[in-house]
Amino acid sequence: MQFAPVLRSEWLKIATLRSLLGTLLALFAATTAFSAIAGASDTSDPGFDPLSTALSGVMPGQIAAISFGAMAVSSEFQGGALRVSLAAVPQRGRWFAAKATAIAVPALAVGLPTSLAALLAGRAGLGSAADGLTGGEQVRAVVGCGVYLALVALLAAGLATLLRSGVATLSLLIPFIIVVSFVIGDAAGPVVDFLPDRAGLLVIHQNHEGTLGPWSGLAVTALWTAAALLAGAWSLRRRDA
Amino acid sequence: MTSIDVQNLTKEYGTRRAVDDLTFRVLPGRVTGFLGPNGAGKSTTMRLVLGLDHPTSGSATLGGRAYATLQDPLRRVGALLDAQAAHGSRTGRDHLRVLAASNRLPDRRVDEVLEETGLGPVARRRVRTYSLGMRQRLGIAAALLGDPEVVVLDEPSNGLDPEGIVWIRSLLRRLADEGRTVLVSSHLMNETASFADHLVVLGRGRLLADTPMREFIHARVRPAVRVRTSDPAALESALARHGHDVVEHPDGHWTVPDARVDDIGRLASAAGVPILELAAEEGTLEQAYLDLTAAETEFTARHQEV
Repeated sequence: MQFAPVLRSEWLKIATLRSLLGTLLALFAATTAFSAIAGASDTSDPGFDPLSTALSGVMPGQIAAISFGAMAVSSEFQGGALRVSLAAVPQRGRWFAAKATAIAVPALAVGLPTSLAALLAGRAGLGSAADGLTGGEQVRAVVGCGVYLALVALLAAGLATLLRSGVATLSLLIPFIIVVSFVIGDAAGPVVDFLPDRAGLLVIHQNHEGTLGPWSGLAVTALWTAAALLAGAWSLRRRDA
Repeated sequence: MTSIDVQNLTKEYGTRRAVDDLTFRVLPGRVTGFLGPNGAGKSTTMRLVLGLDHPTSGSATLGGRAYATLQDPLRRVGALLDAQAAHGSRTGRDHLRVLAASNRLPDRRVDEVLEETGLGPVARRRVRTYSLGMRQRLGIAAALLGDPEVVVLDEPSNGLDPEGIVWIRSLLRRLADEGRTVLVSSHLMNETASFADHLVVLGRGRLLADTPMREFIHARVRPAVRVRTSDPAALESALARHGHDVVEHPDGHWTVPDARVDDIGRLASAAGVPILELAAEEGTLEQAYLDLTAAETEFTARHQEV
């Protein structure tokens, strides 16, 4: 069985569900709006990083990317939908690869313009405080942020396949991101730096002090995502549909 | 043409055997009714045939090949397992387009099966707004999408209105007459009797019968004659002379077990008894099935005592 028809089918599944398209819209709107708010706020903090401030909308915005990945998969685990899908495409590895591609491509396609819009919205508020940013730094942050959003969507998709539930995935990932990043925050040690969201979001920081740089940080997130996808694929192949 | 071959198929969930060493064939050109009470293993067997569940042992093949090895399987095998499987937020047409795309079927086929199943007018409405009968028709439309040689339907008449039940009956007949292999599960006896040519009967995961439906009934239900007369005393003595017992029914008719209309008619005529009604009583599938399962229960009970 060829890959292209399966991919087309999986893409159609996403394109024909308004709620999924809605999460992509929410990703754009929330990220841009929160970046605009952050840019317009106080900039007198000594550790002030204009790049990550301008893109800080991605912190709440990524929840929409996670929801997108989780819901795109969890709709298969309702009312025996997976059986219909796997009866049409019994090669489960191929089916899951098509599913992941159909999630990653729109997430990236929305994530990149979202990051650019967020940066512009954030800079509009920052004004002269952002003048020190180089073109290279900004391109890296926008591209990296877009890739990051696609990676967390895939992470959620892999986890939702393993857990066979969107609700379980969201209730695991969202508190994890909020608790670890907002509560433990900067006080945390080197281990926390290797968590998927902390490591990946290094790409939107101007300055780096720890062991990880912007791209190596993103690579750590990619490893988490790969692990989640492999676990999902393993579960899908092994279990009864 | 393609048959379904089930060989020593066993499926265990933990310690429970849902399917127990099942062997049978479903042949093309006839409707095979898949009978058994709820929990007998019918749905599990169908999932195993479609490669959705992994068997504990044994195999299920279609034309000699495992389902998972089929190219564009919807073109070979169409299945309805669960009418609730279509996403409520999608339109019926989109649900079918998604399936068609995966097996390189044109959207033209989608519109054809929508018309064929009577869903044309509601094709662009969301599945959430469908009645159970409409969802059932959508599931059948999905099964027919690839014009398959093998059709597997799990309880297809569930939720259908009387018109829908007549429709599904003629559909199954037509599919079999076109030479396709048709396997239809049900726990409703009268419904199955109305469309099946052949029966595969399960009980607690085991094969209880695999025979043509007529044979199944005739082997288990003795023929009887239904008779009504205006002179009961004369008829009773006439029958008794020839060694026939009668069973009286409150509404006035009698049943003569183990008899044929020809004999009873001649006998009554010779005795000059007026006959108001005389008919052969065909055994029903329900009677035959209950007879089979009663024997099976007894067997199981005795087996456990030993």
